[in-house]
Formats: sequence, C-alpha cells, structure tokens
Amino acid sequence: MIYRFLRRFPISGGSKIFLAFLGCLFFLEGAFAFTPLFVLPQWSPQSQFAGIYVAYEKGFYLRHLLDVTILRGGPDADPWEYLRKGKADLVTQFLTSALEARDKGLPVVLLGQVVQKSSLMVVGRKDRGIESPEDLSGRPLSLWESSFRLGFDLLFEKRNLVPRIYPQYYSVNLFIRGVVDACVAMYYNEYHMLYQAGFNFDELSGFLLENYGFGFPEDGVYSTESFYRENPEACQAFVEATLEGWIYAREHPEEALDIVMKYVNRAHVPTNRGHMRWMLEKILPCILPASGDAWIPGVLSREEYRKTGEALMEGKLMGTFPLYEDFVPFKEYQNVP
Amino acid sequence: MYRKMSLAWRMSLLLLLGAGCILGAVAGFNYVSSRKLLERELRDEARQTSRSIACQVESVAKALEQTAKAAAYGIRRFAPGTEGIFGLLEESLRNNPEVFGMAAALEHPSWYGVTGVPYVQRQEETVLFKDLMKEGEAFRVSDWYSLPKYAEHSLWTDPYFDDLGGQALMTTYSVPIFSGEAEHKSFQGVVTADMSLEWFSAILEDISLDEGGYAFILAKNGRFISHREENWILRETIFSIAEEYGLPELRELGRRMIRGEEGFIFMKASVMGAEGWVSYVPIPAVGWSLGVLFPQKALVASVSALTRSQGSIGIIGFALLLGVILLVTRSITRPLVQLEHATRKLAEGELEAPLPHLLGDDEVARLGQSFEVMRQQLLVQIDILCATSAAKERIESELHIAQSIQMSLIPKTFPPFPEHEEFDLYALLEPAREVGGDFYDFFMADEEHICLIVGDVSGKGVPAALFMAVTRTFTKILTKNSLDPGDILFKLNNELAQDNESCMFVTIFCAIVHLPSGKCRYASGGHNPPFYIPREGMMTMLPQVKGSLAGAMEDIEFEEGAFTFRPGDTLFLYTDGVTEAMNNEQELFGEERTALALSKLKGRKALELIRELRKVLGDFAEGAEQSDDITMMAFTYGVDRKE
Repeated sequence: MIYRFLRRFPISGGSKIFLAFLGCLFFLEGAFAFTPLFVLPQWSPQSQFAGIYVAYEKGFYLRHLLDVTILRGGPDADPWEYLRKGKADLVTQFLTSALEARDKGLPVVLLGQVVQKSSLMVVGRKDRGIESPEDLSGRPLSLWESSFRLGFDLLFEKRNLVPRIYPQYYSVNLFIRGVVDACVAMYYNEYHMLYQAGFNFDELSGFLLENYGFGFPEDGVYSTESFYRENPEACQAFVEATLEGWIYAREHPEEALDIVMKYVNRAHVPTNRGHMRWMLEKILPCILPASGDAWIPGVLSREEYRKTGEALMEGKLMGTFPLYEDFVPFKEYQNVP
Repeated sequence: MYRKMSLAWRMSLLLLLGAGCILGAVAGFNYVSSRKLLERELRDEARQTSRSIACQVESVAKALEQTAKAAAYGIRRFAPGTEGIFGLLEESLRNNPEVFGMAAALEHPSWYGVTGVPYVQRQEETVLFKDLMKEGEAFRVSDWYSLPKYAEHSLWTDPYFDDLGGQALMTTYSVPIFSGEAEHKSFQGVVTADMSLEWFSAILEDISLDEGGYAFILAKNGRFISHREENWILRETIFSIAEEYGLPELRELGRRMIRGEEGFIFMKASVMGAEGWVSYVPIPAVGWSLGVLFPQKALVASVSALTRSQGSIGIIGFALLLGVILLVTRSITRPLVQLEHATRKLAEGELEAPLPHLLGDDEVARLGQSFEVMRQQLLVQIDILCATSAAKERIESELHIAQSIQMSLIPKTFPPFPEHEEFDLYALLEPAREVGGDFYDFFMADEEHICLIVGDVSGKGVPAALFMAVTRTFTKILTKNSLDPGDILFKLNNELAQDNESCMFVTIFCAIVHLPSGKCRYASGGHNPPFYIPREGMMTMLPQVKGSLAGAMEDIEFEEGAFTFRPGDTLFLYTDGVTEAMNNEQELFGEERTALALSKLKGRKALELIRELRKVLGDFAEGAEQSDDITMMAFTYGVDRKE
C-alpha cells in the first residue's frame, strides 16, 4: 500500500524502495498519517475535473497528507449512490442536485463550491429558425433528464415556452442528425462538440441560462455529514489542494491538458485534446475569479445559495431548503456574504 | 574569351544557345502541360477510384443493412421468443460475414415472450450468445437504441467502443420496430447489426492506392468511421483535427463531405499524412462520405520521371547537336580558314603563292575566286607600276638634265665684269618645277659695248633647254659680227627657222649699250617690253618695236629702238614668269603691280632690286606653286657699284 502510494512520486525505483522503508517506519510510529480519500467526479474524465487530476498528479494531495484515490466517474456511477453506499468519501455534483439529494434524505454537506457560474445553455439551429428562446415553442428540443433540467424548466415556464421535448442522453446526436431543432448543452462541452461536428458557431444560436437569470452554481465537492464530522481537516485540505490544482492548470494549461488526456485515454473516453482545451479554457473563468469578480474561489455565496434554493422551491422540486450553516459546515465560511 | 573563339565555335555556341532557348521553352511548356494533363487524369482517376471504393463500401453496408432489416421483419412478424430470436440472429450472423454482432432490444421484452436483450457476436469461427440486460437498462440510453427510437428510422450510429456487448470498436446499424401505423404507431424496440471497424478498415486497406494514399470515411457528424490513424476513429472528428492543427481548409472539406457533396480538393496540410489531393464522394445510402487522399508525391514522381527522361534525352540531344553543328560549321569555315592562310601570305607580299582551289559556287568559293582575280590583278598592276615608275624616273632624270643644261648655260657670276665699274648688273633665273625655256645672257660684245639678252623658249623640258642653248650660241656668234640688235635678231631668226622641224620658237629681247656714251639700241622678238627706270622722272616701259617671235618663219625684219642712258638710269628686263605669276585665287601679278613694285624700288642697287621684287612676287603668290620660270635682269648705267 505504501509502495503503491509512493509510486506517484516522480523519483527513481531505488529511491522509492528506500522511501517506502522510511514510510513504514513513520507509519509504525504513527507520526506520518495520510488520510485515505476515495473521490468520485460526477462524470467521465475530462477537463471539467482538471483541478482534481492536476492536484493528484502534481502531488498536491500528498502534500496535504491526503491519500486520494480518484474513482472513475461516468453515466453508470451516480455520486449520491456512491456516497450512500460508502463507495466514495467525496463526490462532485451540481448544487441543485445536492439540494435535491439532501431533500430526499441524504445528509450531504458542501465542502467547496468549485464551479461558481453556470455553463448551461440552449443551442438552436438558425437554419431551422431558432433565433431566440421564443422560437423554441412547439419545436423539437432534446433535454437532459434529472436535476440538470431545473434551469431550463424554469426558463420555459417563465417565458411560456412549450417545446416538444425529446430525451437527451450522452450525445447531441439527435440534434446533429436533425431530429431536433434545439438541444441543451454545456457551453464548455456540447456547444463545442457541435462545432467539432461541423456546425459553425454562426450557424448556431445559444442562450446561456446565466444570462436569463436561471444559472446556478454547478460543480461542488460533497461528503456526508458524518464523514465530514470525522475528517474535517482532510475535507478542507482536499478542497484547498483541488483549488491549487486549478490554479496550476490555469498557469500551465498544456501540462494540465497532458494530464487530462492521460485520464481520458485510460478511460477510453471518446474525446480529443482540442475539445479538452476548449473545455479547460471555458471552465477556468467559472472557477477562478477574474480581477473584477467579487466571489472567492471555492466559497459558495449565501446569495447564490438562497437564489438556487428558492428556484428549486419554485420548481416544486422541494418544499424547503436547509440553512446555509447546515449545508456548508466550514466555520470559516459562516461569515461570507 | 568569346571574341577569341574561332568562328566555328562561336557559330556552334550561338546556334546551341538559340536551340537551347527554344528547346527549353518547349520543355517548360511540355512540363506544365503534361503536369496539367496528369492532374486532370489524376482527377478523373481519383473520381473513378473513389466512386468504386464508395460502391464497395456501400455494398458492404447495404448487405449489413439488409441483414438487420430482415431480422427486424422476422422478429416483428413472427415474435419467435428468446430462443427463436437467438436462432434468427445466429443464422443471420453465420450467413453474413460483414456482420460482427447482432442484438434485438425490445422496449417490453415480455410482450414478445423474450427475456433480456439477446445478443450474438462473432468470435473467430464460433458465435457467442449474451444477454445485454445483464448489464442493466443502460442500453436504453445508448445511441443505437435511443436514436432510431426518436428519429423513427433506421440509422447508423457513430463509431463507439462497445463495452456492453462486443468489446470492440464498431458502428451499428439500428432498425427500429414500430407497431401500428402512422399517428398511432408505438415503438417496440430495435434490431441492430454491428460492423467491426477493424474488419471494415481491413477491407479498405485491401484497396490498392498510390504510395502514401489512403481512403477514409466520415460519418454525418464528421467522425471517422475509418481512418489510417486508428486513434482518431473514436476521438476525433475531421473538424477537431482542423481545429487542433489550425486548418480552416480541412474544416471546409469536412463540411462539404458531411453535406454529401462530391469534389476534388488540394490539401496543403500534411496532417492527412501527405500533401495531396483529396477526392471525396458521398455514400448516400448510409449517409457517410468517402475521402481518398492522392499524395502529390505520386503525381510529382511521375511528372518528375517524365521530366527526367526528357531532360536526359535533351542533354544527349544537345551533345549530338553540338557535334553536328561543329562538323557543319567546320566544313563551312574550312575553306575560309584556308583562304585566311593564303591571304595572309598575300598580305605578306607572297603574290606568287597560289590560292587554294575551292569547289562549288557558294559565297566562300566566290570569295576565293575574287581573291584569285585580285591576286592576278595585283601582279599585273605591280608590273605596270614598275614600268611606270621606271618611265617616271627616266623623265625625272631628263628634267634634271634639262635643268642642269638650262642653269649651266646662263652666267651666274656677279658682278660679271669686275673690270667694268661703270654699270651695275644683276640677273636671276628661277626655274619652275618643270623646266621651262627662260634664259638670259650678257656679255661684252667688244671693249665698249655690252649686250643684254632675255628670252623665253616655247615648250618645256629638254627640247626647250636645247633650243635655248642653240639660241644662246647663235646670239653669241652673231654678236661677234654685228652690233645692230635688229640685224642680230634677223640673222638669229633665219638660223632658228631653218630646219625647225619641231616648230619651236623663242621670244627674245636684245639690247646693246655703248658704255662710254650710254647710247642703247634694242630689238625685240615678241618679248615683253622692259621697264626703263630713270634716275629722275617717270618710269616707263620701253616703246614697242616691231618684231615677231624668233624661229617661226624666215626673213622677218626686226625694228630697232634706241635711247640714251643717263647715269643712274636702270633698265629692267623680265620674262612673262613675272607678270603672269599667280596666287591661289588664280590672279595674275600683272604689269601694273610690277610697275608699282619697281617704282618703290627706284634707286636701289640691281641685286637689291631683283631680290626685293622676288620677295614681293613670293608674297603675292602666297605659297602657290610657281607655274613658269621667273627671269629678271636689272642694268643700271653709270653708277659706281662700290658706292
């Protein structure tokens, strides 16, 4: 176990054995305690999780005395399921989804709000006459199931739009093949996939939920309340190390891409470096604030939290939502605006 | 360097240069046009090749589509149950080598008496049987299940790695089954047939293309169904490659291909493996597009080979041409060279050396003939010239003799009679270049008489000189017997006229002065009257006396004139060489100018007078050639020379 662990250090074999020996000594003494953490990103490896992979590969977690194991995410790995069954200690997921899960009885707490801005959008084909959200009424539109829908449902409801809904799974192929005139997309993901499928940007119309007031904070790091209570330092350390990973990725994008592509290749994810570059470029400003932004990286603002909770109630997805203090356990965050 | 070359080399070089330019232009045109031709051929060939590949692909895909459709029909029509479906799928798989795996996924399996999702898969020679439901309901969100369901028609999925059933890279043809008609139809499930992309690529690889060329297939969304770069197949689209490598033209190609267009385009980028032409044709039945890369190298190689062979033939041709031109120019210039050698000898004076005999009647032969004529003419002319110069020399020597005779006959000692101090006498004869017949003479006829004679014989040369000598001799002899100038001239004329076959004559003036008294008698035979310059008073010409040319005819009387010198008076005798002296404007000196000059010289001694007058004459002539002898004599009576 220790040897496996030390393999991650970029040092020679002989030195590894020596270090392993030293490590054993420390362990015996109990003076060198790494906290093991099993972490599940909510989706297959891609730049959306670059901070985690970079922190892992660059040894940031080890520096924080964390022995992280990154589990392979994907459509068949539901983060809440993993938490409930104890298959993962920490997971990433959208804020809306986390509030829903908590509402359904899974006591999850937010350890860090990584992605602060929404990238959800509706993409329409201009050649099918989709120029504004109003044009969506009565038109075939593919839409994700699950909590991703919330913002879109609210948009359609607020604007009295009634598109013909088709289910959208992992691909936007219904859109590409012309079955639907519009689809939902992440700005950093599917929107660019359409470009890589031959659509020029000027042939597409895009409506970001953020611009219509229905954008909610997205990826956050979650654990169960009990896990947090037992490992508060480790939880906080994980979030800090992950943000360090993101900062490193911003400074060294090509190296970060190398790392992401390593995970992509290992998981046989059918994507390419160009797409991962786009994703990294577009998601970074949602994680690390630019000079004019007021928010703090990793910290969920009370305002955003309240907005999201109220939206969920309005969407009749839940009757009430927890107090910020209950949902966000870190003492340091209690004074945030 | 160039100018030092021989004519043959220069001609060869110039011809070769000219021919080279023309041939070069022809070769360049040939290269361009053959390249164009080859390009056109390549284009045609590319279209044919791509169409035929597209046909092959389509036939494979069509066969697979038919298999899936037949199975779907069987299941919908006969609802054969789990075992029956497995049997049907297995049968289809065994009979259709292009099918890798087949599944029948039903929305409600139990309605058809089916459990799970039957799936059969080829594994080498055997067939594996699987139930996809064992992995859960995940298949329901896969493209092969959901796309035909919502698109409501059969379709090919994007390439994907199937980790549910086949564990292979594949694309699936999926046929939806609907029950009911039109508005009321409801989705029952799909029957799929998988095509292994590995197997499919192997088929494409079997198609032989030019070195470096290859075929690739794009799905509707620009994904590669087949490509040489295997790891592109799942991950990249033609557009992602274009984006990653910054190739807008590749993106444009991709867009044309997925729109189902047909065309031919040159791709500069080597990201496709090699620079070259991409021919693209749609495979309409399956909605794919086939691209075939024809590397430029192959085309360039064939053009280059053509150019190389043409080039080497050209070089050999040039060498041969040089040889031929040299031979031809040498044969043309050989006689010229011979001529040049011969004429050099001619130039050196070897006129006797024969010129080469040149055959034919061309320019060079004619030049040779002209040179021969010139040589002959030169020989003749030189002979003539030799003769002429000999004659001329003879004449010149004759003239010389004549001059000697002329000059030897006249007295040239001054003062002539030193014992006689009562007169001053000086005379001058300047012969012209050709000897004339002027003469003068003076002698003491006896103790008291002096005889002064000036004459001018007609004609020139030796005859004139001899005639003059005869005249002088006669005069001298005749004066011994008579002191009458008329009588002397009478007798002289008769002597000269006698047997004067050459019809020569002489103008003559003869004066005899009695020195003690100063009395002077004179006679003239057609001669210019002398000037009388008295010491005091007007200068006059002596009055004319009757008398004709001496020697023309016999028995002619000569009148006598007389006057008396006073001391200091001067008599000036001359010939027409003085008055007829000419300047460059052909103007004669004339008697007036003579008189004027003499009047200015009055009182001078005879020697000075003559010399000054000669000077005046010389000034007047301004260097014009003297045309006649100039003879002057001045006699001054009664002065002491010593003064």
